[in-house]
Amino acid sequence: MDRQIKTLQDKNSYLDLRKQERVTLLEILDRALDKGVVISGDIVISVADVDLVYLGLKVLLSSVETMERLRGAPMAGAQEEPT
Amino acid sequence: MNTKEAKEGLIYLYCITDKVPKLKEIENLVDEPYFIYHQSLYASVNKVKESEFAEENLKRNLADLEWIKVKASIHEKAIEGVMKNTCVIPFKFATLFNTEDNLKAMLGAHLEEFKDILIKLEDKEEWGVKIYCNSENLKENLIQEDEQLLNIDKEINSSLPGKSYLLKKKKEELLNISVNKKFNEYGEVSFDRLRERSQEAGINKLLPKEVTERNDEMILNSAFLINKDKVGDFLNIVDDLRVKYTDKGLFFDCTGPWPPYNFCGLLKEKIHNG
Repeated sequence: MDRQIKTLQDKNSYLDLRKQERVTLLEILDRALDKGVVISGDIVISVADVDLVYLGLKVLLSSVETMERLRGAPMAGAQEEPT
Repeated sequence: MNTKEAKEGLIYLYCITDKVPKLKEIENLVDEPYFIYHQSLYASVNKVKESEFAEENLKRNLADLEWIKVKASIHEKAIEGVMKNTCVIPFKFATLFNTEDNLKAMLGAHLEEFKDILIKLEDKEEWGVKIYCNSENLKENLIQEDEQLLNIDKEINSSLPGKSYLLKKKKEELLNISVNKKFNEYGEVSFDRLRERSQEAGINKLLPKEVTERNDEMILNSAFLINKDKVGDFLNIVDDLRVKYTDKGLFFDCTGPWPPYNFCGLLKEKIHNG
């Protein structure tokens, strides 16, 4: 019984970690791809390419979501945020 | 710097500082970042492969999210590593130069601007606040509060199917207007309170549900530049707002400190120039 509970907790903390990773990735992409000093370096990525990234991000996030659903985890709801 | 090496591959610029960046202390980076010094500025850079970052290859890789995930994390980690010891001007993901000379020319061309920005950023931190709102919950609340909506609700119950259908549509319309009004109000009130404790503040574009993968909607995506000694006050205000809006179904996602991506000046200039 105890063991079962422990396993469940481990699984939840693993999922929290995945959620956290996902949130962090979103935060990083929202900044590093969209903001920061834009200078005409020798190679320039256009805005369209960044939109492409968001499209890709959608695919990635869905796959994480699907994984969570398969594991019977609750949908992403309120979670503790890093401060 | 090994000049022969500089000719092979591309130079990826992470950030600029006016103090020696402590790059050796950054852990877990696949490659070893180094710095290029020019006219009192230090550019923290890395050598990257043309097979990954040359124009066509870069475009292809940008469609590969796993690749972006890895590279964007390295980008962030490198800048955060430098940021531990001194203030930084972070550059956009994949700012690339063919040669060290090109990079130095860029540093020279913007020397005074970079120096000014670094002075401005001294002893400050960037924090981000994203606010989400569950519109379904909000709608429930609005119906209870709004007399006009309550009356329509009553009318719907006592009407024949045809009329009740039209009334339902009208109710939905009115609700959506009210919801948007509330979204704006909550976002504005929160933003105004938060900016009081910041040096500079900015509002960014809202990210759609497809990107956030949350059930609730983003109603504010904001960034703040805060004096280090005011960060505690700022976080207290975030907590105050959480309490204030706890029954409205708002969720505050507060993160930081970030490299000051949103407050390095040149960006605005670039936007205005189109």
